[in-house]
Amino acid sequence: MAVDRSDLLQGTLDMLILKIVALGPVHGYGISQRIQQVSREVLQVQQGSLYPALHRLEKRGWLQATWGESESGRQAKFYRLSAKGRKQLLLEESQWNRLAEAIALILRTAS
Amino acid sequence: MTWWWKSLFRKRVLDAQLTSEVRFHVDELTDANIAAGMSPEEARRRAVLEFGGGEQIKEELRDVHRVRVIEGAIANLKSAFRFIRKSPSFSAVIIVTLALGIGANSAVFSAIDAILLRPLPFPDGDQLMEISQLHLRQSSPQTRTAPIRLEEWNRMNSAFQMISGYYTEDGSETSGVLPEKVAQAFVAPRFLQVLGVSPALGRDFSADEERFGGPNAVLISDGLWRRRFHGDPSAVGKKLRINGFSFPIIGIMPASFLFPNRDADLWVPVPPDAPYAQSREYTWYSVIGRLKPRMTVEQARANLTTVQAQLGKAFPKPDADLAVAIQPLKEIRVGGVRRSLWILFGSVSLLLLIACTNIVALLLARATQRQHEISVRFSLGASRMALVSQLLTEAFVLAFIGAALGLGVAGGASSVFRSLAGSLPRVEEIRLDGRIVIYSLACSVVATILCGLLPAIRGTRRNISGSLAQANRTQVSGRNPLQWTLVGVQVALAVTLLAGAGLLLRSFQALGRVSPGFEASHVLTFHISGSYGETADWKGLTQRIDRTIDELRNVPGVEATGATATLPGVPSEYQTELRFTEGDQDAEHKIVAESRFITPGYFATMKIPLLSGELCREPKLTSAPADPAGLQHIAISSIHVLVNRSFADAYPGGSTMIGRHVQPVNSSFLQPNDVGEVRGIVGDAREEGMNRPASPTVYWCFGAPGGPDPFYLIRTRTEPMTMAETIRKKIREIEPARSVFDIKPLPEHIDDAFAENRLRTVLLSLFAATAVSLACIGLYGTLSYSVNVRQREVGLRLALGALRGQIVKQFLLQGLRVTVVGCVAGWALALASSRMLSGMLYGVSPSDLVTLSSVVLVVLLVAAIASLVPAIRAARLDPMQVLREE
Repeated sequence: MAVDRSDLLQGTLDMLILKIVALGPVHGYGISQRIQQVSREVLQVQQGSLYPALHRLEKRGWLQATWGESESGRQAKFYRLSAKGRKQLLLEESQWNRLAEAIALILRTAS
Repeated sequence: MTWWWKSLFRKRVLDAQLTSEVRFHVDELTDANIAAGMSPEEARRRAVLEFGGGEQIKEELRDVHRVRVIEGAIANLKSAFRFIRKSPSFSAVIIVTLALGIGANSAVFSAIDAILLRPLPFPDGDQLMEISQLHLRQSSPQTRTAPIRLEEWNRMNSAFQMISGYYTEDGSETSGVLPEKVAQAFVAPRFLQVLGVSPALGRDFSADEERFGGPNAVLISDGLWRRRFHGDPSAVGKKLRINGFSFPIIGIMPASFLFPNRDADLWVPVPPDAPYAQSREYTWYSVIGRLKPRMTVEQARANLTTVQAQLGKAFPKPDADLAVAIQPLKEIRVGGVRRSLWILFGSVSLLLLIACTNIVALLLARATQRQHEISVRFSLGASRMALVSQLLTEAFVLAFIGAALGLGVAGGASSVFRSLAGSLPRVEEIRLDGRIVIYSLACSVVATILCGLLPAIRGTRRNISGSLAQANRTQVSGRNPLQWTLVGVQVALAVTLLAGAGLLLRSFQALGRVSPGFEASHVLTFHISGSYGETADWKGLTQRIDRTIDELRNVPGVEATGATATLPGVPSEYQTELRFTEGDQDAEHKIVAESRFITPGYFATMKIPLLSGELCREPKLTSAPADPAGLQHIAISSIHVLVNRSFADAYPGGSTMIGRHVQPVNSSFLQPNDVGEVRGIVGDAREEGMNRPASPTVYWCFGAPGGPDPFYLIRTRTEPMTMAETIRKKIREIEPARSVFDIKPLPEHIDDAFAENRLRTVLLSLFAATAVSLACIGLYGTLSYSVNVRQREVGLRLALGALRGQIVKQFLLQGLRVTVVGCVAGWALALASSRMLSGMLYGVSPSDLVTLSSVVLVVLLVAAIASLVPAIRAARLDPMQVLREE
């Protein structure tokens, strides 16, 4: 627990979920684990926001869900990216990158 | 029911799924904790703790899935009202535009509904037919029917439940202080049963009263009852004195019963067994019948044709020459106005379309202004669907308020309609009721979709909503192709409507400029009550009418007097086939002419000039033996006739025609042995209507033209109506027992004959004017918006030295370019739709170049003015101020 855990920036959770689901079908537990692992424990997702976000994305048609057996042999709900979701992901990624660059630029030049 | 089950079922499935999804997560967490070395209990406790409130999460998930139709709609409504309160003038413009559009539309629809769509106001009104007899060997074949034939049809057919008939005649009722004219309907037995109506008070005629020699009886109208008896129920049983005979009132008809016409005062039965009703030749009745249930018009036609064929065998003369025609009664009554009404409906719908287009442009402009609000809502997670439905709700609320106000407009408009078109059939049935309310509601829904959908979809596009980051209004493009297209569409539709109105106006004008060959001004017309009973003594009848005409001529201020069976210039036809008694008959070339029945004074009164020969005189009457039917035959030695110039030109003989004799071939009023001696030739006059050039006409000079109740004509020296009282008094002196009625200047009769024409023209002009102003408001609004958006650019250009004239020119041209395109499209539309107007036009072709080009010119001019205002405002911008503001 040496590293500070950061809260997610508002509005970026959707993008992260889409990005992770883009790697292959995955269940909610898997998503929360992966966000944590990939961000080297910096980002932690509250389940209270993860699941509503998953269901919202599913309802918008960006994710598709099927029930299947998990690695541990339990029944789990697997999410995968739809074509619409893929487009949305590209859009959000490019927006994010622009924003990040802009912020980085400001930080660099202002110092 | 099934829907509820499904939704309940779905809810349970959903809940189960949520539970197992959450449990899976907790189980996996527990496993991970155990793997990290915790005891199973501790692992589970930590997992549940880490996961957070499971129930709370499940509730949130349920929320995501809940379709909040009602909550959503209420929220949308609330925000719509907030929107209206926030921009009252903008909303008011939209509401008023829609109120006018929907109101006018509902008003015309209420007329169409009452006149064309609803069945006649009788039970099973669609079973009612009008039956007429056709004379196969006459040029105007359709005639009334003899009472005896009506009875035979009724007895022998198997298609109708019952057949009856009626004819109308004005009479004089003398039981009151002054003689009063009453409109009487003489009816065959079964009259009320056929119509399916019973008296509101009292009873129908009894069998006794329908028999010859039985007691007299009369049913009176609600109108007469209120007028004469102030609605007192004890009127039943009282007596009326009609044309000298006493009639007890046996019943009072309901107020809604206006058959055969809305003036009918009373109904009197005619016994079918009366000796005077036994002739097969004398035709009185307009025949109505009620079809048996599920009987078609074709079946009935076939059935009655068979019946008539049987009669033809039994009575070859005249029945072998007769055929039967059947048409729905409603068609007879309203068929004539159908096209006019649909044209009005079409134009008023175009108007609504223009109004909607206008509103679309307004809402589009508004949507660009609301971009910021919309993008904020997007970033707060609102779905596009929710935003579209919110914008649509706003449009619907506006349209709904518009429609509600529109109903008020329609109420006012339909009373205007009634006063403007009193002669329209069934106009008294026009009213606002549930159907019209539903129609207006439907209009508002259609208007919502027309007006709201496009702006809602365009306004919520992602790329526009992405503008939150760059909230900079100056980047909104000044060119809005969609908005300008809408303006063009409005102009095109307005041009189409205006072209239609222009054509109708031009033909109205042309009709007014026609010189009809007679002078209608300063002629007063009226009736004096008379009864067909008088025709038994034709000589006495003629003497009475002659005496009246002579006395009236001596009244100071009267220039000339005459009488006629039909009014000149008011459409009516009476085509007769004639032959000359002298010389060879050319069998190939039939002589067909209009017959007019007049007194000799007619020509001086109407100022129709005598071209050659001499004026006619009335025939000398000799008494003739009564014919077997009990009617005295009109025995006339020789009738004088005058022919018009067209007749002299059309048929051989020309001016040598004078002195020759003409004889009618197959005519129902003239008898074959009535021979007319041509005494002279008169100028052509448009007898059959102002819109029809004079055709060959023969004027038959009679003392009692057309029977006991001709039109009296008086040429006055002063304004004709100022003489009305004098004439009324004079007639009371001469004929104290008769009533004078329908005193009217002749031009009014002629105008009334074209009332439908006038209604059409007035309304279409009104719609067209509204359409043009709406289109101009649209143009003005769009251009103003464009100027507003480009303020900065204009300011910059002015600052860099652009001339103000250039700015004006640029914006003016922008407006005019769209107008020109709209005009071209409108021209094409007008040409394509002008065929609908053909047959309603007089003296102007549907593709009249002058009308169309002046319409375009007017629209261009008005559009130029509408564009000039924003253009000049753009040029007057103060560059410094604009640039500083930015």
